[in-house]
Amino acid sequence: MSRPELTGHASLFYNEKEARKYDSSSRMVGIQREITERAIELLKLPSNRPSFILDVGCGSGLSGQVLEEHGHVWVGCDVSRDMLNMANERIERKREEAMGEGDSSEDDSDNDMNDNDSNNNDNKGGTTTEEEPSPGDLLHHDMGTGLPFRPASFDACISISALQWLCYSNTKEQIPKKRLTRFFSSLYQVLRRGARAVLQFYPESSEHAILISECAAKVGFAGGIVVDYPNSTKAKKHYLVLSFERSYKAPQGLTGLEGALLNEGRSSSGGVRVADKDPRRAAGKKSRGPPRKKKGGGKTKEWILHKKETQRKKGKDTRKDTKFTGRKRPMRF
Amino acid sequence: MRLLTHNFLQSNVRGTEKGYPLNIEVTTIKYEESPVDKEFLLNLLPKVNYNALVAAVKQMSPHCEQPLPELPETMDVSNAEQNQNLDDATISNLHKVLFDVYLVEGWLICPDTGRKFPVKECIPNMILHEDEI
Repeated sequence: MSRPELTGHASLFYNEKEARKYDSSSRMVGIQREITERAIELLKLPSNRPSFILDVGCGSGLSGQVLEEHGHVWVGCDVSRDMLNMANERIERKREEAMGEGDSSEDDSDNDMNDNDSNNNDNKGGTTTEEEPSPGDLLHHDMGTGLPFRPASFDACISISALQWLCYSNTKEQIPKKRLTRFFSSLYQVLRRGARAVLQFYPESSEHAILISECAAKVGFAGGIVVDYPNSTKAKKHYLVLSFERSYKAPQGLTGLEGALLNEGRSSSGGVRVADKDPRRAAGKKSRGPPRKKKGGGKTKEWILHKKETQRKKGKDTRKDTKFTGRKRPMRF
Repeated sequence: MRLLTHNFLQSNVRGTEKGYPLNIEVTTIKYEESPVDKEFLLNLLPKVNYNALVAAVKQMSPHCEQPLPELPETMDVSNAEQNQNLDDATISNLHKVLFDVYLVEGWLICPDTGRKFPVKECIPNMILHEDEI
């Protein structure tokens, strides 16, 4: 499958149909959530205190939702109006759920924080209404032309799967290097001193990755690229981590090695991590995403039950859950 | 678009000397309550440009169904320690004004060049034309 970036402008690729498909795909939602959680981890924000975060290329607000769950206040910008409309729809849905009017019938229903006291078929069944935090603000804007904020506005910046779009030019006037430099120098100004930026992107080649790092370094950022799971084509993820401190060194990426170090908590000192299978669990946070499959390809019972639930919500015919669902089958031989 | 975001928005059109703060021309306003996070507000206040906030409230006020809370004309919010002494009523008013008022439809106007940025469905369109980059 060719890269979306090669087909044309981001706002043309993410038209209404594509935006809707993107937002309702549970796989997409799951992946974006994971990436966002990892990016938040790399940000090393002050704990227990909400931060004011800029989400560049926020799309339909998948990453923004994760930021909200962590209690942060965010502002997002995206060049595709259709994706932003999806984000608005998502906010409306959440609001209706919070008011107990709607049925939580979307695929990405990991809104565990939302207890309704509604009397319709809500499978959470809580008795208190938890107030929803204020959702993020959205801007329709092209990041390659800079960021429309006054200096030192934000405590941090994240970007999930968006930065690579700057590497392709769609009109005669667009030069990737110029757009990247414009973006980074603008980012340098709108972040307050001591802030950090984590931008996950999909480089087409090492040239792209180098171009991006060079443009970031040229404007004065320190940092580097953290690569998670470098040996897996599917799981490999690149995070550009930027900081104002000249002495900052980017932490090691995850390698997914299993072993005795699995159950150790994360080291809180330098961010150097050797083998940390599930950062969410290790950090002691409540696992907010859907259950994971076993590494190595097996499926856990929770994963099966969650998947069946998702299929039911989609309206597909699904067998009832019984005590035999996902039972351990005897070994083949 | 909330006034919190508006407080940080700036026009970066080429040739603009001071694209901040943007003037607001209101068409529709929305009002939605949210829980007050006192600590976050106190952390945020030193960054907020208070004069811009007051000016924005004045521009939004005439179009609101429910009157917006009264804010003092000037207040020095730059000192985080002093902000701890603010009373709850002021904090609540500040929160209402920053987080709960949304500009749904309208225009944001650059004070320097007069360039108008449209706001539709709560989303400002800040996309620059080719000659403005």
